[in-house]
Amino acid sequence: MRIFNRLFRRAHAPSIDCDTVMRQLWDYLDGELTADRAAAIRQHVEMCSRCKPQTDFEAAFLEAVKRTRREHPQPERLRGALLEALAKQGFASS
Amino acid sequence: MEMPPRSAAQQEKNRAFEAEALRWLPDVTRFALSLARDEADADDLVQETFLKAYASWDRFTPGTECRAWLFVICRNAFRRGRVREARYVDADDAELEALAAAAVHASALQSGFGELFATVDLSDAVARALEQLPEPFREAVTLVDLHDQSYDEAAQILDVPVGTVRSRLFRARRLMQEALIDHARDAGLAPNTQSQPRPEGGR
Repeated sequence: MRIFNRLFRRAHAPSIDCDTVMRQLWDYLDGELTADRAAAIRQHVEMCSRCKPQTDFEAAFLEAVKRTRREHPQPERLRGALLEALAKQGFASS
Repeated sequence: MEMPPRSAAQQEKNRAFEAEALRWLPDVTRFALSLARDEADADDLVQETFLKAYASWDRFTPGTECRAWLFVICRNAFRRGRVREARYVDADDAELEALAAAAVHASALQSGFGELFATVDLSDAVARALEQLPEPFREAVTLVDLHDQSYDEAAQILDVPVGTVRSRLFRARRLMQEALIDHARDAGLAPNTQSQPRPEGGR
């Protein structure tokens, strides 16, 4: 029964062509698509020699961008100055 | 209905502000750093953001996304403090930009840089490419890629339609990729010769 369901789902999965994948690739990588749509694109990408390299390329780019997140070098100093400024407005940390 | 004593109300405001708003200090700081670029300006921006948030705390709706509310205040404070870029930068169409990404990838493949981002640590060059983007594009990348905001959330923060966020974001990514491929070419980074990420110009 499980195998039947899997085959049934596969047979009825919305077919997606490369052009559609290209149009929705960023939305897919950003997690902006419905689960069904994302699954259909994932399935296509895994089997497509044209779309897979570009998907990997874009995903690696997004990872490289995420690695540039900057942290404040002195967060405690910033927090201290902020609490001091807020205290003048009536704020008191509990 | 009997109003609570003023001091109790103040205490409740402080408690709520600390729990709901101050917890996002690291996120607002990162956001301010990405907007202001300069650390001292970012510090001022962070302080202005939280002072404004505290002063208008009664306008914050409990249960809504406080981080996004703080981002809006931060961005508005930033934009008030500087002359807006006069250059028209809105991208035309998100779909065209999405398709243009394929052209960039094709160009990267042709130059032998098809695995550039997976194999070379380009952190400094990526940060520079981000800094060089026109402000509306940089904001879109900052919110979605660095702060994990959805397109809808970013649209609310930037006060623009979702379609505008998509088109700005996609164009920004394309501009960054083109800049990074140019950088790799100029730096003589050997195409597709590494199997693991290594520092730029690695040893």
